[in-house]
Amino acid sequence: MLVPGPGIDHLNDLLRSNEPQRKAKTHWAESWDRLLERRLGILAGGVILLFSAIALLAPILSQFVTHYDPTQQDLANVFAAPGRSHWLGTDELGRDTLTRLVFGARVSIGVAGLTVAMALTVGTGVGLLAGFSGGWVDDVLMRIVDMLLAIPAIFLFILMSILLRPNPITMAGIIAFVAWGSVSRLVRSEVLSVKDREFVNATRSIGASDLRLVVRHILPNVLPILLVAASLGVGQVILIEAALDYLGLGIQPPVASWGNMLTNSQIYIYHSFWLVIVPGVAIFLTVLAANVFGNAVRDASDPRLR
Amino acid sequence: MLLYVLRRVLATIPVILGVTIVTFLLMHLTAGSYVPGLDLNPYLRPEDVARLRANLGLDRPLYTQYLEWIWGISHGDFGRSMQNASPVIGLILDRLPNTLELSGTAMLVGIALSIPLGVTAALRRGTRLDDAITFVSVAGFAVPQFWMALILILIFTVSFKAWGLPWLPSSGTVSALGGGDLVDRLIHLVMPASVLSFVYVSIWSRFVRSSMLEVLAQDYVRTARAKGMKESRVVYIHALRNAVVPLVTLVGLELPGLISSGLVVEVVFGWPGIGRLLYERALEFDYTAVMGVTTFATLLVITGNLLADVMYGVLDPRIRKSMKSR
Repeated sequence: MLVPGPGIDHLNDLLRSNEPQRKAKTHWAESWDRLLERRLGILAGGVILLFSAIALLAPILSQFVTHYDPTQQDLANVFAAPGRSHWLGTDELGRDTLTRLVFGARVSIGVAGLTVAMALTVGTGVGLLAGFSGGWVDDVLMRIVDMLLAIPAIFLFILMSILLRPNPITMAGIIAFVAWGSVSRLVRSEVLSVKDREFVNATRSIGASDLRLVVRHILPNVLPILLVAASLGVGQVILIEAALDYLGLGIQPPVASWGNMLTNSQIYIYHSFWLVIVPGVAIFLTVLAANVFGNAVRDASDPRLR
Repeated sequence: MLLYVLRRVLATIPVILGVTIVTFLLMHLTAGSYVPGLDLNPYLRPEDVARLRANLGLDRPLYTQYLEWIWGISHGDFGRSMQNASPVIGLILDRLPNTLELSGTAMLVGIALSIPLGVTAALRRGTRLDDAITFVSVAGFAVPQFWMALILILIFTVSFKAWGLPWLPSSGTVSALGGGDLVDRLIHLVMPASVLSFVYVSIWSRFVRSSMLEVLAQDYVRTARAKGMKESRVVYIHALRNAVVPLVTLVGLELPGLISSGLVVEVVFGWPGIGRLLYERALEFDYTAVMGVTTFATLLVITGNLLADVMYGVLDPRIRKSMKSR
């Protein structure tokens, strides 16, 4: 702060006039600007939005665009090649592939969103608690995470899928049950790195409660890394969920999912190759978009991480 | 030093106990001491069923069963299969070489490909070639392994067969008729190992690229160039050696995954490995076998982590210090 006085006022005015009327941008606004500069990232975000919209509007799309029901069988017309009446062909029961694909998007994207939400909530809570309290609380919580991450994840998924006979919601629970572990490690290390900074000590010295300190001052510093974990997590979860569906342990037919559409296709690979190609392309594009978007978010939120 | 090692070893004991308890409870919740076939046999009266279950020790309290099971494991006995009473450790050891063959090959291929790809991308930074390599690596993260496997089968088995070209076998480790020699085994290994190594290539080539870029920007590289050293010698002898050192850590981190990482690929290609063993037994509710396999794989992971920690402690005294102060 410049002390007011003769001449200094003038200097102050000068400083002010030199500085255009620009409000200091928050971290979020700056990140947003940097994100918009990344065309590929924006494109990927657009793809995700588009697929999510398709998933949400699946019943409407099937009625007005594809004109089929996802479980409607047409036994006179099985293994129809892609053509005018069935744009992406039909499967072994004559069901329209495109319609099932559109409904499959609901499972893939819905489960992924739910899983990431669950894993982030639990993982953030545990990470904040462990990192902030330290001591035996930290030790106990982190040993639990160690145990969880020591069991090969795919084995745990298989065990729990057989235990729970999953629907989309339990499916999300199963994957989140393992995924929160690494989130909590991430959050904990971030908390440890800000816990002893001056602003935390300053806030504490003026009498802020622990809760306020964590929620209002530490959590905002963890948020950027969570955002990145979320957008990169979506892609990983879609892959895991699709693999479990493919193995016959996830979402069961007749409900369509991209993974279970591929299960049967392997048997018919000799004559109906489109059944193998189509759902995989959908998975690949979605995961690719989620990863590219996640990387763009990471770069935008912290250019140093590049 | 000895104290440090001892401390690390002791710290894994609660983790091992926790992991075995979780696995044991999960399996008992799932299968509830289910014995395959007992409830289906019309000639068995309920009292016979009860007697058979008692013979297997399934009527005792859970903690007794757990303690007995964990006692067996500490002696290398992973229990017996509920399906045919064969020792689980035998099943595991039967399958282990196949799994190691597959994942080991995939890892070696991964290393062999990712180093030249990463170095090339770094040397040609910003060019089309760099972009292409980047794209391959990004794609490797996004492609579902089982789907890539299906696509390879579609091309190299189904289509090649249809076109009358020499085609690759899509399942098993050897041909059923007259197979089993080295060439036959290698041919069967090509597709599964390619799928599995793709992920490794995509992770590691990115890593080599950025590490190489970092090293190339360092002073000693400039000095070497200023001395008039040949560019190839600067890059491949001086820079590469330092750029690849961190990769060793990264590869080491993947080692515990050797057992489990190939599960899906093993299932698609009918590869008789540990992953497929677990999958098949899980579908058949052979829960003692599943428990044994899971515990075996987990113990390997924990041992691997322990060895890595100890090695770091040996190599870097600072880590020993920080452990002591904790």
